[in-house]
Amino acid sequence: MGSAARKRRTLLAGLAVSAVVATAACGGPEAGGSGGGGIEKTIKIAQVQDQTGPIAYAGLGASEGAELAIEEIEQQNFLGEGVKIELQKLDTAGEIERASSEMNKAMGDRDVDAIIGPAATQQAAAVAPLVGRQKVPTVFTQAGGQGVVINDYTFRVTPPMESYYELAVDYLDKKGVKTISVLYNATFPTFAELGEKRVPQMAKDRGIEIVQSLPVQMTTQDFAGQSQQIARKNPDALVMLLIAPQSVTALRQLKDAGYDNLIVATSVQAAGNIKEAGDAANGLVYPVPFSTAMDGESSAAFTEAFRKKFNKDPDPYAADGYDAMWFIARAIKASGDSSREGIRKGLAQVAKEGFTGAMGNLTFEGNDARIEGALVQWQDGKEILAQ
Amino acid sequence: MQDLLNVVTLGSIYLLFALGMALVWGTIGILNFAHGATFMFSAFVGHLVTRETELPFLPVVAVSVLVGAAIAALTQLLAFQPILKRSKNQHAAEMRILIGGIGVAAIPLALAQHQTRSSPFGFNSSYDAEVMDVFGLRLTTTSAVIIVSGLAIGIGLTVWVRRSRQGLALRAIGVDAETAAGMGVNRTALAFGTMATAGALAGLAGALLTFQLGAIAPETGDQLLIKAFAIIVLGGLGSMAGTVIGAYVLAGAETLVLNLNYGTWVDAVSFGLIFLILLARPQGLLGRKEVRRT
Repeated sequence: MGSAARKRRTLLAGLAVSAVVATAACGGPEAGGSGGGGIEKTIKIAQVQDQTGPIAYAGLGASEGAELAIEEIEQQNFLGEGVKIELQKLDTAGEIERASSEMNKAMGDRDVDAIIGPAATQQAAAVAPLVGRQKVPTVFTQAGGQGVVINDYTFRVTPPMESYYELAVDYLDKKGVKTISVLYNATFPTFAELGEKRVPQMAKDRGIEIVQSLPVQMTTQDFAGQSQQIARKNPDALVMLLIAPQSVTALRQLKDAGYDNLIVATSVQAAGNIKEAGDAANGLVYPVPFSTAMDGESSAAFTEAFRKKFNKDPDPYAADGYDAMWFIARAIKASGDSSREGIRKGLAQVAKEGFTGAMGNLTFEGNDARIEGALVQWQDGKEILAQ
Repeated sequence: MQDLLNVVTLGSIYLLFALGMALVWGTIGILNFAHGATFMFSAFVGHLVTRETELPFLPVVAVSVLVGAAIAALTQLLAFQPILKRSKNQHAAEMRILIGGIGVAAIPLALAQHQTRSSPFGFNSSYDAEVMDVFGLRLTTTSAVIIVSGLAIGIGLTVWVRRSRQGLALRAIGVDAETAAGMGVNRTALAFGTMATAGALAGLAGALLTFQLGAIAPETGDQLLIKAFAIIVLGGLGSMAGTVIGAYVLAGAETLVLNLNYGTWVDAVSFGLIFLILLARPQGLLGRKEVRRT
């Protein structure tokens, strides 16, 4: 190697060191934390969820919850004096392909430190392997199906419905129910799992007999026939696992068919999704991860703060977004490192310890959240705790 | 018998939706993929109006019918008519209208999804459906209105298209638009009127279906669009009577599958049945065989 080449290398190395020093001097990471990478002055979180399309309610609600959390985190200087969180919203518009492309966009942006991932299971399951390969910590909300929490970089803050659905079956048992019918949307993965496996097993464990199981499709809009079949069997209770518009119709047609017994449903009926059913929805009971009726200290505080900021009641999706953002903030604080790898380590650490959020006490099975949940009853246009 | 009544109710719902689509497709040759969005948005405007003030049954229906007619007329004026004028031949026009319809449909859909966050919406109406006992069968007043409206409008349109001068003119456009124009048929005016009528029917279906189901979602129209498409093809394109029969055949097949407790097979069996019928009669149940002249 000649001396000219050595000089050139020395010059390049000197330039590189100067660049690193200059970067650090211009507001680079602060020192500290077990991760060693420090906390950036501005942390960028991408929210890759539906802002339009058929499940826009989930993404828009999560956005509001996340915005409230960011406001609190910044006001409290939770991550240090003057540390800001920038929330970038990328719309998946209800499409799997769009979810993949927006996730790729977010992962390709080196300024994005973590992602709040798609709320629909199909979208989430499609992108979960990608975030593992690209090593971007991603916290999913909703997305309760299989294939979502599959590697070290995937976390889920909304507990899968089946993990707290026992609340509903326990309630039926407590009410002395001996026979039930199950009306379920078999093309909705979570409801298929509940309707075909979990509920039958839970019922069997409690000595409750399933006298009728009626699967329907996502496209089913008229429930007159099923309602009359249920009314003819007249079970002590009905387990109704339907999406929001279907449940409004089914509740009205069940009433028209003369079925007046107990009906239990799911958290899909929360957020006022059944108010259009009017009086037919009165008495409907369903387990939820969050409700404004929940009286735990952290849940009540969230409800109050949300009402103050947005002048309306929060829905479960807002609670998802709020807890997801606080999960990420706690992770950054725990690792003292806002880099992608630092956040991943922090998320794993916080998941081991659990934390208290809008949904109450969150514990984790691996990277997947679990909660106690609450059983609520819809009565005259609002949710109350079921007795 | 109760199941038969359910078939008639469901068939009438499908019929009300499909009639407008069948009218424009079978006569002026426009396959309007914005029909579902027109249906949904008519009901959505009814929802917005009744959110401000509670209304009885008929005013809500009137609002939806007028909105449906206005949307369809505007669609014809601003989208389909310019496409027709700029297309070199009928085949190119049909393809562009199809794509144009999909584009038009996206606008009201996005607006309703944005406003409702895709939650179901219904009407704030003083009307409350009552359950009647007819010879031991349970029938709601809304179902009765739907059955009567569906059958009356279906039969009325069939007779009108077959017997009236305007119906004859419309059918002439469907056979050969240029020759019809040469015979003095004002294609532009008739097409405009037909689209407005179809829109009014979509609005009527939107209002009645929302009363019947309690609520619909912004995406409800898209789901019905596929069924209407199948009904029209099954009945025979250009035959309003075929559309009437097609609607009840599809409803009957669906109800049968549901009663056998194969709920997840409803679409597969129903559309499979339609496919089999079309294998035997490619022109549909009441469609005429296409005559190709060389």
